[in-house]
Amino acid sequence: MKVAYNWLKDFVNITLNPKELAEKLTLAGLEVVSLKESSGDSVLEIEITSNRPDWLSIAGIAREVGAITGVKFDMGRFNRLKAKAGSKRRIEISVANEKDCPFYSATVIQGVKVAPSPDWLRKRLESLGCRSINNIVDITNYILFESGQPLHAFDLDALKRPFVAVRRARPEEKIITLDGRQVVLNQEILVIADQDRPVAVAGIMGGKETEVTLDTRNILLESAVFDPVLVRKGRQKTGLQSESAYRFERGVDLKGAKTASLAAQELIRKLAGGKVFSYGSAGASEPSSTTIKVKMSQINSLLGVSVPVLKAKQILSRLGFFVKVKPKETLLVKVPSFRQDVKSYVDVIEEVARIYGYNKIPMSLPAVKPSQSQDGARSSISEVKRVLSALGLNEVITYSLVDRNLLAKSGIGQELAPLEVLNPLSKEQEVLRYSLLPSLIKTVAHNLDQKQECVSIFEVADIFLPSRECPREEASLGIALCGTRSLFLERGLVKDEVGILHIKGILETVFRRLGVGGYSFKPTGNGRVSVVAGRDEAGYMLDLNEQVLAAFGIKNKKIVCAEIRINKLVSAGIPEKKFSGIPRYPAIGRDISFLVKDDISVEDILAEIRTRASSLLSSSRIIDYYQGKQIPSGFRALTISCEYRDKDRTLTEEEVSPLHDALCAGLENKFGIRLRQA
Amino acid sequence: MDINAIQAQLEDDLSAASSAQDIEAIRVKYLGRKGVLADLTGAIGSLPPEERGVFGREVNALKLRITESVSSRLNALNIKASISDKKETDIGLPGIAQELGSSHPIVQVIEEICGIFARMGFSVLEGPEIETEFNNFTGLNIPLDHPSRDAFDTFYLKDYPKLLLRSHTSPMQVRVMKNRKPPLAIVVPGRVYRPDAVDASHLFMFHQIEGLLVDENIKFSDLKGVLEFFAKSVFGSDIKMRFRPHFFPFTEPSAEVDISCIMCKGKGCSVCGRKGWLEILGAGMVHPNVFKHAGYEKGKFTGFAFGMGVERIAMLKYGINDIRLFFENDLRFLKQF
Repeated sequence: MKVAYNWLKDFVNITLNPKELAEKLTLAGLEVVSLKESSGDSVLEIEITSNRPDWLSIAGIAREVGAITGVKFDMGRFNRLKAKAGSKRRIEISVANEKDCPFYSATVIQGVKVAPSPDWLRKRLESLGCRSINNIVDITNYILFESGQPLHAFDLDALKRPFVAVRRARPEEKIITLDGRQVVLNQEILVIADQDRPVAVAGIMGGKETEVTLDTRNILLESAVFDPVLVRKGRQKTGLQSESAYRFERGVDLKGAKTASLAAQELIRKLAGGKVFSYGSAGASEPSSTTIKVKMSQINSLLGVSVPVLKAKQILSRLGFFVKVKPKETLLVKVPSFRQDVKSYVDVIEEVARIYGYNKIPMSLPAVKPSQSQDGARSSISEVKRVLSALGLNEVITYSLVDRNLLAKSGIGQELAPLEVLNPLSKEQEVLRYSLLPSLIKTVAHNLDQKQECVSIFEVADIFLPSRECPREEASLGIALCGTRSLFLERGLVKDEVGILHIKGILETVFRRLGVGGYSFKPTGNGRVSVVAGRDEAGYMLDLNEQVLAAFGIKNKKIVCAEIRINKLVSAGIPEKKFSGIPRYPAIGRDISFLVKDDISVEDILAEIRTRASSLLSSSRIIDYYQGKQIPSGFRALTISCEYRDKDRTLTEEEVSPLHDALCAGLENKFGIRLRQA
Repeated sequence: MDINAIQAQLEDDLSAASSAQDIEAIRVKYLGRKGVLADLTGAIGSLPPEERGVFGREVNALKLRITESVSSRLNALNIKASISDKKETDIGLPGIAQELGSSHPIVQVIEEICGIFARMGFSVLEGPEIETEFNNFTGLNIPLDHPSRDAFDTFYLKDYPKLLLRSHTSPMQVRVMKNRKPPLAIVVPGRVYRPDAVDASHLFMFHQIEGLLVDENIKFSDLKGVLEFFAKSVFGSDIKMRFRPHFFPFTEPSAEVDISCIMCKGKGCSVCGRKGWLEILGAGMVHPNVFKHAGYEKGKFTGFAFGMGVERIAMLKYGINDIRLFFENDLRFLKQF
């Protein structure tokens, strides 16, 4: 909303220069976003909040300036207006639904002389960026800017009797609007119609056929109030924009609608001559008014200040409220019709605070009573993130809304129909993802394009699963690894291409840290490995196939990824830590090195060791494995390190040897392992 | 020759020795076949018989002492030699360590901000991103069909008429107040969604942090104090702050909060649009209608709420000029944080 500095001076005697004024307005809630010279005036562009339609006018802002600077504000030309003679003849107006149009007035003025506007009028309009058309149209715009009340003038001779019906458009009805566009209307759009056809889209834009031109002699001047929601929807449906719609949408003042029309008539008489011939109106004549009771103690305790009662009264009076102090320290505040936003005592408190000055309110610190309850999941998730970044993974954030093709080409969750958004602006926002992995794969691909050698990323975010009653939303952990890690060792560089075991190692580390017990990894074919925690599947790991990689434009690289449902990890919470004693007696270590057919799972061998072994076996783990030229094909070499220990005494070789030999013999029997000499 | 003099001479010789070869020469000089000790032993025969026993014992003792001294000196030299002879590692080679990963800058800023409020006694909560129309609007005093909804332009879900993607984190106010009675002190970080066209400063998904404090006798001055503590903790104690009246349906009075531009210190630059001020958050006193929707006893509690855009704060803090960088996830970007 633009206002011209000198125009404001018509209503209030400003003592500040434009820059100082801009500063004061900003601090009172009228944020001045620019200050420019235009048509010989300083023009302030102000961002008006949606609750203050009264600020969409020069007079409204002048009233504010008066309150801020403590200078008297005067309504000027809008004072002492009276209807002129001739208005006794009635115009019939039909309003189909009073809710759509609470007030409509029409005034017929005969014998106007349409001509270009005088300089002063043209300049003022131009300073606000409004093009001058002719004196009649310019006057309606001038009054709109000045009072905030939109007006419209029709060429009376282009209207067919009866002139005015305010009704919903009929299906497929059309109108050519002032900007020359043909608009197809429907029943959700309010129009002004004469006998045959719509002549204006109500509150938004007039029709071309009834436009006031230099040939016009007689006009019908409209001043009305339309339902804000209807105007807003009409604007959205027709795609039309106008200063009128902007104001009607936010709500115009019923009282102002009448005075604005009279002010326009007076200007028309001055600049274009003519005589008021007839008048008609429909709808409410008096706006309802509210009175709000506010105690000074309410004001001062909510703000943390001590504003005196007279100061509060003065502030509110200058803003146009009618204030009585009754009884002592209590304000009875009558709200003027142009302040429909003020409905309750807190609104009054804000008005006092605004003009008193937010920056005069002191700062204090409240006594916060801390709450015991903690979001347990949140701290577990933080722990997961710490572990992952300590393991060298970079955290990413990707969009929850994605292109449905992204999900499809990943091959993940093809049995799922993603949740759709009703009103996406583009393909990239059309569905909510049911898996984090497609976005992570896309991120990997992006980084490979930037010539990254190795990409290890993770994300923790909600995924969205369709379900009949109510869509399900749950937190998920996604990990994706790709490329070759370069490890510098003392002996030089070692290259390490990431694979599924890297993901496994990462997950195991996370699980251990979170105290997730009893997890296992079960291949389910096609490069997918199910990750089971307890009885349920907590997620899965995936070695992406060539087809998917190709769909993401990735060549000669492999990507391994995993997705884990967070609630499966954190339901247990981070376990409380308990110390268990450090062993006091030494262990005896024995390694088993053997060849075994490579179709026998290491998992099975280790399980066998655990079930067979005596209670003295304290741990068994793989310390080496090899497959290659030095051993027969179809076999691999494994070394398992076994540790025997008793917590109460030192074991002897004589005790351990038979146990260990029996264990080896057992493995030979069960798996046909061939022991090698270490 | 005097045995004591020999001993003294040996000590001198040894302390002058600086290498194994020197020590070997000394050993030969004293203990060799033609060495000092051999001379002494050879001299025994020329002594009177009654002196031979004593002298012989003294020579033997001396021999023992010399052997010990020589070998201990050799050891000392060897240890030193082994240290100084070891090949030095070229310390210019790369150090060996597991490379650390990184936390996303948005997450870091969220953690920092939530940490600041946690120090003041607020607890951190999170809420769902799919919300009901009631929690996102009605419960927050944003009436249906009101233009104020335009500011919170919203993605609705197809097939679920009353569900939407939350357009702000404020619906958590409604959720928390429905389930808990004051005192309440919470901060809520999370993703929010608005159908905005994408450019350097707008995205259809971004992050907000919501704050809510409700108790008896909470004042606007408390809001100012808490937000000042927050802003100075994040942006430094030398920044200035100002509160501008604003409009939010769920707070009254409402304010927008500016800090003096951290780039130009308030002089006016391209970052602050020549204004000298940067808007960082919106705030206000909780509207009584919000308490009414929550079912709180009328007039019993007051409180304040605030909300801020995390990306905006992160951009200011790190000097990032394009919001899209956060979600492109280029490792060259991520690894800087």
